[in-house]
Amino acid sequence: MMKQIALYGKGGIGKSTTSANISAALSDMGLDILQIGCDPKRDSTRMLMQGRFIPTVMDQVRERGDRSIALEDVVFTGYGGVRCVEAGGPEPGVGCAGRGIIATFQILERLGALHGDVIVYDVLGDVVCGGFAMPMREGYAQEIYLVTSGELMSLYAANNICKAIKRLSGRSRGICRLGGVIGNGKNLDSEEELISRFAERIGSTMVQFVPRSLVVQRAELNKKTVIEYDPGSSQAGVYRHLAAKIMENTRLDIPEPLEMEDLEALAYEFITN
Amino acid sequence: MAVTDGITIIHGPDGCAHHTTSLLHALQVDHDRLFSPVILSSSLTESEIIFGGEEALGKAIRSADARKPGLICVLTSCVSAAIGDDVQSVCNSSPCPDIIVVPTGGFLGGGFSDGVEQALLALSALAGPGREPDGSVTLIGEKNLEYEVDAQYRELSRLLSLLGIRVRLRFVRNVTAAALSQLGSGSLNILRDPSLQEVGESFRRRFGTPYIPSFPVGFSGTLRFLEQVGEELGIDSRQAVKTERENQEQLIGNFRDLRGANVSFYGLSSSALPLSEELIQRFDLRPCNAGIPFSIPDPLPVGTAGLSRTLHRWRRVCRA
Repeated sequence: MMKQIALYGKGGIGKSTTSANISAALSDMGLDILQIGCDPKRDSTRMLMQGRFIPTVMDQVRERGDRSIALEDVVFTGYGGVRCVEAGGPEPGVGCAGRGIIATFQILERLGALHGDVIVYDVLGDVVCGGFAMPMREGYAQEIYLVTSGELMSLYAANNICKAIKRLSGRSRGICRLGGVIGNGKNLDSEEELISRFAERIGSTMVQFVPRSLVVQRAELNKKTVIEYDPGSSQAGVYRHLAAKIMENTRLDIPEPLEMEDLEALAYEFITN
Repeated sequence: MAVTDGITIIHGPDGCAHHTTSLLHALQVDHDRLFSPVILSSSLTESEIIFGGEEALGKAIRSADARKPGLICVLTSCVSAAIGDDVQSVCNSSPCPDIIVVPTGGFLGGGFSDGVEQALLALSALAGPGREPDGSVTLIGEKNLEYEVDAQYRELSRLLSLLGIRVRLRFVRNVTAAALSQLGSGSLNILRDPSLQEVGESFRRRFGTPYIPSFPVGFSGTLRFLEQVGEELGIDSRQAVKTERENQEQLIGNFRDLRGANVSFYGLSSSALPLSEELIQRFDLRPCNAGIPFSIPDPLPVGTAGLSRTLHRWRRVCRA
């Protein structure tokens, strides 16, 4: 059965890096992977495409009209055969990017693009309207993974997204659940433990802690995922481990978001220690 | 007027529901009718646009459900579609057994006939499990806003009765929601007009029901219609055709005063051209710029009775 996962988290926390490395690792396992970037910045799949910004679905709609688009206009094959799609959307300050995500999903459905062993949805940081919850809707991602560091504002953003997961999980046919928390380290003290505790407090678990590593920046500068750039590195091993954990994961929870006071108290606990 | 025990919810600001209700009211008054469908609004205000409108929709659905309708139809508006309200999910979570969604946000494009097609396809979700076809006919896509919609239906029923056939279901006109489950049980679908071909094809694929693409138009078209229906249902249509031909010849005789008139057709749609040519030939009309102005109604007149009404109208114009 096709697995559909979505990665959410604060802007700039490393979702796209994490998504791309998960996709690369899964493709190395012989799986057929589709990664869909749900962000007007259209940078989700860049490291899978040797640094290239692929044409976005929304750009194609604007240029040709949605009925003239073919599959090959919006789906591009990158590292390891990973199929890459970027939703695209408006420039900052104009239009409605959320509606662009909805339109993208409808077009991809119509083109029969949503197939494979795993679909990875990489969603922009601030889920500011209904459109960005599209991957959580019935028929799409069953497993949501929150990417967070140990910084309070990052935890706050992850906690906030739990509200959406909880609300959508509560629908009678809602299938999306929280698959777990992915810690993306910023070299803070006790960061791994803090993120793990946060995951427990919201009723989930930390599936993997990804330590901060220079190889990530080096790989990015070389326009590659870590998996491709330095497959023998320990960091690549971490991403492979994460990918395997996701494939094996059967624990799916409805999260219970924390109140701000509780979140702050949790963060303070680790700072004062 | 379509689904008699249905309630429509327009998920949007009150203005969207008001606009629709006003239009339908104005049309009904013009047709000397007072019946208006029940339309509710989810009453989205700026607050719902900012914070999401799903709760407001849920409230509207509960309000509609309290009236115990046979069916709730939820239509979306531009703004509810733009902000990404998951209308389908809200409806799926509702305890109402029969609730359908039709995306009708204006920016999605399409015109009136696209909306009709979408609505018919959405309502077909209420079709029950297939039964053995019983030789009856289903009418697909009658135009509820047409002034002569019921006159057209009476004419169609009369023609079908010449073949001993009854209309099982008017999909969708003056029916209860429960009756819609009979879609797929008829032996033949008759589409109101060829613009509904996609609907006809969809039902043919789904239920195996063949279809005739249009109500009958014109003298020869009406006779051909009887032959086609007979052919599809394995009925000998010769007597029906003979009877109707005699009826038509009597009608033509009754309007022999129109024969040879100088006429000037105006406002003809492309679909009306074949009918105008047939009438020119039957009545030996002389088209010329200075002729008596004749028009052919849109939608086109159905069957022999429709032609009779048109000819009566022309006679009044000639005598005016």
